[in-house]
Amino acid sequence: MSEKIVIKNLSFFYGKKQALKNVVFAVKAKEITALIGPSGCGKTTFLRCLNRMHDLYPGNRYEGEILLDGKNILDKGLDLIGLRSKVGMVFQKPTPFPMTVFENIAFGLKLNGITNRGEMIGRVEKALKDSALWDETKDRLFEPALSLSGGQQQRLCIARAVAVEPEVILMDEPCSALDPVATAKIEDLMMELKKNYTVIIVTHNMQQAARVSGTAGFFMLGEVIEFDSTHKIFTAPANKLTEDYVTGRFG
Amino acid sequence: MPISDGHKSGHAADAAFKGVSFFFAFAVMALLSAIIFVLIKESWLSIGKFGLGFLVSSTWDPVQGVFGALPAVWGTVVSSVIAIIIAVPISLGNAIFLTETAPKGIKGPIGAAIELLASIPSIIYGMWGLFVFAPFIAENVEPFMIERLGFIPLFRGAPLGVGMLPAGFILAIMIIPFISSVARDVFLMVPPILKESGYAVGATKWEVIWKVVIPFAKSGIMGAVILGLGRALGETMAVTFIIGNSQRISLELLNPGTSISAALANEFTEAVEDIYLSSLVELGLILFVITFVVLAAAKLMIARSSYRPYSGGAR
Repeated sequence: MSEKIVIKNLSFFYGKKQALKNVVFAVKAKEITALIGPSGCGKTTFLRCLNRMHDLYPGNRYEGEILLDGKNILDKGLDLIGLRSKVGMVFQKPTPFPMTVFENIAFGLKLNGITNRGEMIGRVEKALKDSALWDETKDRLFEPALSLSGGQQQRLCIARAVAVEPEVILMDEPCSALDPVATAKIEDLMMELKKNYTVIIVTHNMQQAARVSGTAGFFMLGEVIEFDSTHKIFTAPANKLTEDYVTGRFG
Repeated sequence: MPISDGHKSGHAADAAFKGVSFFFAFAVMALLSAIIFVLIKESWLSIGKFGLGFLVSSTWDPVQGVFGALPAVWGTVVSSVIAIIIAVPISLGNAIFLTETAPKGIKGPIGAAIELLASIPSIIYGMWGLFVFAPFIAENVEPFMIERLGFIPLFRGAPLGVGMLPAGFILAIMIIPFISSVARDVFLMVPPILKESGYAVGATKWEVIWKVVIPFAKSGIMGAVILGLGRALGETMAVTFIIGNSQRISLELLNPGTSISAALANEFTEAVEDIYLSSLVELGLILFVITFVVLAAAKLMIARSSYRPYSGGAR
């Protein structure tokens, strides 16, 4: 399998405080990579480097390189808008925009220059189908997105991310605000998504990481302790710290 | 037994505290009712004589003893609407700048400067308006306006410097700090994660502000605007100085007019006949009702926008 993203000696600083130290690994294309570790270990910080979300706030600084298809996305003059339409993101809580279901998905499409009404409708339908939300929302497309249930809202956010046909989808604890039934639906959806997309997910849920991911990285105190196949991480970790964490001895 | 003693005195203090706080809360209500009662009682003569016609008559003739509220109500509403039209874009621009785009270093000073506008006494605005602003625009702005924009009736009238449009302009300066600061609080309530979601699908800052932040904050912004409107409606001193104090209705906004509070401030001392005085009090009653309704609407809207749980989780 080819390598989609290669991280070379990535360090990250919130002002003077270093949050990531020399992170090195490679993310395979069309696979789910799970990032695990105790709270405050830097996994969300890492995820937000991949679409340069940190650039929204002053005083943040990157060092090292992140190569997306061989191109360094930490370059100073990089087009962030272009990057973010290639690298989509789903957040901890459902974040539908204050508009209708249809408009929520059309929003990103319009930003990407799709103005033809017919094409727009087709793409919205496809995104909703790809996110297993079409059957539940096809009669409610023009209702406010906030009227959907929490699980539906989160799938809408996934639909919104896939609608613009990114290459990578980042998920930051996408199920942390959802009940088990909604969580199961999202997990099924992830398995579908990995056929076409490279998915990177941050999760606190060990079982979830074990269920969905092919590769896993264990973060602690801003460093990557171990990065390997999920099977190996959970059954025969090389590092004692990893073992302690995945067996629930701390965290 | 010390423990039960403590309990007992605790109960007594609790009851006393309840009583005192109830008394104060009640006192406010009583005061409000008393004000309404007095306003109605004192204007009874005028209400009886002119009836509902008072609201729609534009005659204000102290010599004949015939009074109608329309010119004053018209002036109050029109000057306030002009103020809102000028102040809203500026205030929202301010609030967006301060919450979304201002570099850290200048956020504080600019925010403070805007709040300082609110602390200038209104009589200062009035004097500045009459002695500095009015002569300036009479000389430099109004003739030009009449010449170039005079084909629109709104921009016609006597270039005196005092009038409806200048009053609206001064009012706008006075309400900008209120609308700005409420709008700023409303924008600060927009969850960062929602804005990030906008950026995450490739939106620019402008698109996030325009399509995500403003729609999310819509009802709060409406509240802020109406709050500003409420202030503009009741403002007295500055308006009295610059509105021109003429009891007439004109669509030409450069002409002098009057407002309820300006009429009250100007004419109370001259009102010797009972019906004159009573009519002025009725004007006050009308103003009270207008501002009460407007401010109640604003409170309602702001309350609704702040009570909007943004957690998709459990529903």
